[in-house]
Amino acid sequence: MSTPTPNNQMTRRQFLARTGALGALGLSLPAILAACGGSDSSSDGGSESLFFDNWPLYIDPTADGLTGTVDRFMAATGVSMTYGEGYNDNNEYFAKIQPLLGAGKPIEADIIAPTFWMAGRLINLGWTEKLPKDLIPNFSNIEDVYVNPTWDPTGEYSMPWQAGTAGIAYNIDVTGREIKSVADLFDPEFKGKIGMLTEMRDTIGLICMSLGIDPSKITSFEDAAPAFEKLAQAKNDGQIRAFTGNDYTDDLVSGNFAACVGWSGDVLQLGKDSPNVRFVIPEEGGTSWCDTMILPKGVPNASAAAKFMNFCYDPVQAAQITQYVQYLSPVKGVRDELAKLDPELAENPLLFPDDATNARLRSFATLSEDVEAKFDEEFSAITGA
Amino acid sequence: MMRKRTKYGRYALNVFAGFGLVYLFAPIFFIVAFSFNKPKGNFNIAWQSFTFDNWLHPFAEESLTRALWKSIEIAAVSTLISTILGSLIAVALSRYKFRGSGGINLFLVLPLTTPEIVLGSSLATLFLGQNFIDFGMTTIIIAHVMFQVSFVALTVRARIRGFDWTLEQAAQDLGATPLRTFMKVTFPLILPGILAAGLLAFALSIDDFIITFFNSGPVQTFPLQIYGASRVRIPPQINVLASMILFLSVAILMTGTIAGMRKSAEKQATAKKFKLLHRK
Amino acid sequence: MTAMVVRQNRIARNADRVGLGAMIVASICLVVLGTRLVSGPMVSVIVLTLILDLVGVLVLATRGGPEARRLLAPYGLLKPGMLWLALFFLAPVWSLIRISLSTKESRFSVNYDFNWAFQNYTKAFSDFGSQFQRAFLYAAIATVLTIAIGYPLAYVIAFRGGKYKNILLGLVVIPFFTSYLIRTIAWSTILADRGFVVRAMNAVGLGNVFEWLNIMENGKLLNTPTAVIGGLTYNFLPFMLLPIYVSLEKIDVNLVNAAGDLYSSATRAFRKVVLPLSIPGVFAGTLLTFIPAAGDFVNAQFLGNPNTTMIGNSIQDQFLKQNNYPVASAMAAVLMVSIATLVLMYTRIFGTEDLA
Repeated sequence: MSTPTPNNQMTRRQFLARTGALGALGLSLPAILAACGGSDSSSDGGSESLFFDNWPLYIDPTADGLTGTVDRFMAATGVSMTYGEGYNDNNEYFAKIQPLLGAGKPIEADIIAPTFWMAGRLINLGWTEKLPKDLIPNFSNIEDVYVNPTWDPTGEYSMPWQAGTAGIAYNIDVTGREIKSVADLFDPEFKGKIGMLTEMRDTIGLICMSLGIDPSKITSFEDAAPAFEKLAQAKNDGQIRAFTGNDYTDDLVSGNFAACVGWSGDVLQLGKDSPNVRFVIPEEGGTSWCDTMILPKGVPNASAAAKFMNFCYDPVQAAQITQYVQYLSPVKGVRDELAKLDPELAENPLLFPDDATNARLRSFATLSEDVEAKFDEEFSAITGA
Repeated sequence: MMRKRTKYGRYALNVFAGFGLVYLFAPIFFIVAFSFNKPKGNFNIAWQSFTFDNWLHPFAEESLTRALWKSIEIAAVSTLISTILGSLIAVALSRYKFRGSGGINLFLVLPLTTPEIVLGSSLATLFLGQNFIDFGMTTIIIAHVMFQVSFVALTVRARIRGFDWTLEQAAQDLGATPLRTFMKVTFPLILPGILAAGLLAFALSIDDFIITFFNSGPVQTFPLQIYGASRVRIPPQINVLASMILFLSVAILMTGTIAGMRKSAEKQATAKKFKLLHRK
Repeated sequence: MTAMVVRQNRIARNADRVGLGAMIVASICLVVLGTRLVSGPMVSVIVLTLILDLVGVLVLATRGGPEARRLLAPYGLLKPGMLWLALFFLAPVWSLIRISLSTKESRFSVNYDFNWAFQNYTKAFSDFGSQFQRAFLYAAIATVLTIAIGYPLAYVIAFRGGKYKNILLGLVVIPFFTSYLIRTIAWSTILADRGFVVRAMNAVGLGNVFEWLNIMENGKLLNTPTAVIGGLTYNFLPFMLLPIYVSLEKIDVNLVNAAGDLYSSATRAFRKVVLPLSIPGVFAGTLLTFIPAAGDFVNAQFLGNPNTTMIGNSIQDQFLKQNNYPVASAMAAVLMVSIATLVLMYTRIFGTEDLA
């Protein structure tokens, strides 16, 4: 065997060096991908497209022989609609869109569904577009309480999607008795079996009301400080099992929670299958809230979005959403339409609260930026995250 | 064997190992079983009744399926990039003796000894407040390649540690061009190592949650979708898709093992024939 | 003319120094650009340096002759990957530390001013001290448990697996082909109050014993420290088991047999022969288990309660929910540094050669 000639060796090594250079090309690949990524959402063939990123389980789906709102909308207007369920948590969603909207760039979604206070924050930051109301004639169907609400004083930026009540949800199998008051949540009998919501305004709001503090009149942290103390004490005592989002329904049904702070519609939906799970607006009163539809700044498909908003504010359509999600509808005339679909549901006081119930409900005050920061900080210190 | 060990002790250890396996499979059994459940309500947690429906309609959950495809897309692109970059590093490290190789070795281990949450949050701080790259697919791919590169480099290096680089010389002595040498000799021999590393990188990418969580922007990957769903609703399709991924990986693993066993047998035979395995 | 050739030759002979230097310079340039350390005209200077650096090496490789090319080849192969890590691993760590010493312009801003804001660190320790403690405590216990479970399992597979060795090893790895999150969520269902495990324990009367041992709390397993540690143990078990298996597998069975002949008992043979030879595996496994466990937040979130949160939960919450990047970065930096210190101490004791 002869040893390789230097010349041979050289070319081989040269080759290996070039392989290295080829590898460097890999560096530019993501840039190319990035360049391609932006354009695929544009509509083709002239038909409009729309992306609504909503909370999960928040619209009637196409199933069980019924056509869901999304499909009815597409059939009626020819808009090609994508319906996402990526809105799980107000703060998390905010963190996701902040780098884009904060830099003046549009996000992928055309409509998003922030809860009222988050809608207020986005409007204040100037990260929303005005609604093209000339394309939304059904806007006139909005319930009176939602005209020019505190979070959107001019009513130009948001439309409520659904509204609801926060109260106490409990599994009577575990509690062994009916729950009536917020005080029951702090009963040592249920130590380690109590759930609270990560949604600060509902948890703190409910405790506030049990302490005789009106959450709609809070202006500073001191106003709500007793509620925070009470919650912190309960957490340190091991009274609270977990702070949850919508997943409290899971823990309730499986019996991990005896009782927890919960939302009316969820529990109504659950009650169909699990009669042990019940919902009550506590004696001391409950909180009311609403989730909104807003157009993020720079929204690509504003007119399609307006068409959808208009469609959902038609009582005939809205009633079908209500029938499925079982929350309070912000659309006038839904009760009459719902009576045709499900007469029993149309009489449910949790969907259509009477005046006496309404008098016991408060919605959380709109907080200034500094006060909100303090609230969030104190609350996250308690949730232990 | 260990003669003095009592039978009793032997059995105890085997029984313990058996329990270990049960422990490992407890959640898996649960996941697969519940893919056949027909849940009442939103959470697939209590056993109701047996059904094939979920398996007949595995893609019924549109957003879940979309997220799965996103994850596959991300894993494919990031694996391609990281496998190229990592294999080049591995070849450099095992093929050459060079100045600074010790430092490079240490540097490669650093991303592996950094907790994921630090990798994820630090990368997010890099992307925050700049105008070149938006949070989304690109940032996820960048992040995945970042942690895959080390894994690929170390895996490939371990696999080609015993590789006989004089084979290249031999081929060239016989008149092969460098390209031909690479394609016909070097590449086929290091390919199994690269493939194994690529599979590992793919698996790491498709299941990554923590790093992706910090750098995803509005993009929903499969793990992110599960995380979101866990707080609202766990449809049985999650179990179906997870079981599918499980069975698919097992199939790949098995074919890989069988092919690898056959390959290594062949290789050994060939090597013996040409007495090329003189090193080890 | 001759002088030039001589110089060229010298450069060619020292091409490895040039290659390494160029790679380091290019990495530094990328870190500087990535972290936006400079602004204005300085950016152009850095970009120019980077380009000159990359082009310079290419020129040297094409004109420097075979020797230079041979010396430069490894750097050419390394460069793409190394530059990627420089830009997307080193630069982020740098920017993390920078932000941990900054204050934000306003709550919802993504811009911040670097002003040596050490109060972020004060806050990280004062408000999240218990989360740090729990992270290290839980990770340490979980690591010990993975050794306790993983070692015997690896031992049985390696020494008693026989022809089923590969199948057994496959069985051990298979569970980890399902999603990490789904596995953890599955545990939360298994350990539920009315689940099989709790009921079985109460049925055989173990419930009271566990209650007394503080393993269970008020008749529950889920949402207790036990569940969190159990989840960590489960999820990181393969990272312990596989390195131990690899080190055990290398041991020659004849050696064990010989030891059995020489020593009076099997236990002693194990202690004198098998155990020392498998220590590198345990060592690598410990690092691979402890590090991700200490930074984990998924197990504490799904299996824990508000009093079992770990530092990962805090970092995640401050970063992604409170938009408090400076404090989150400070916590991440502390975690990174403390783990690096631990790893360093650990490698001092056990040596580094088996780490990679």
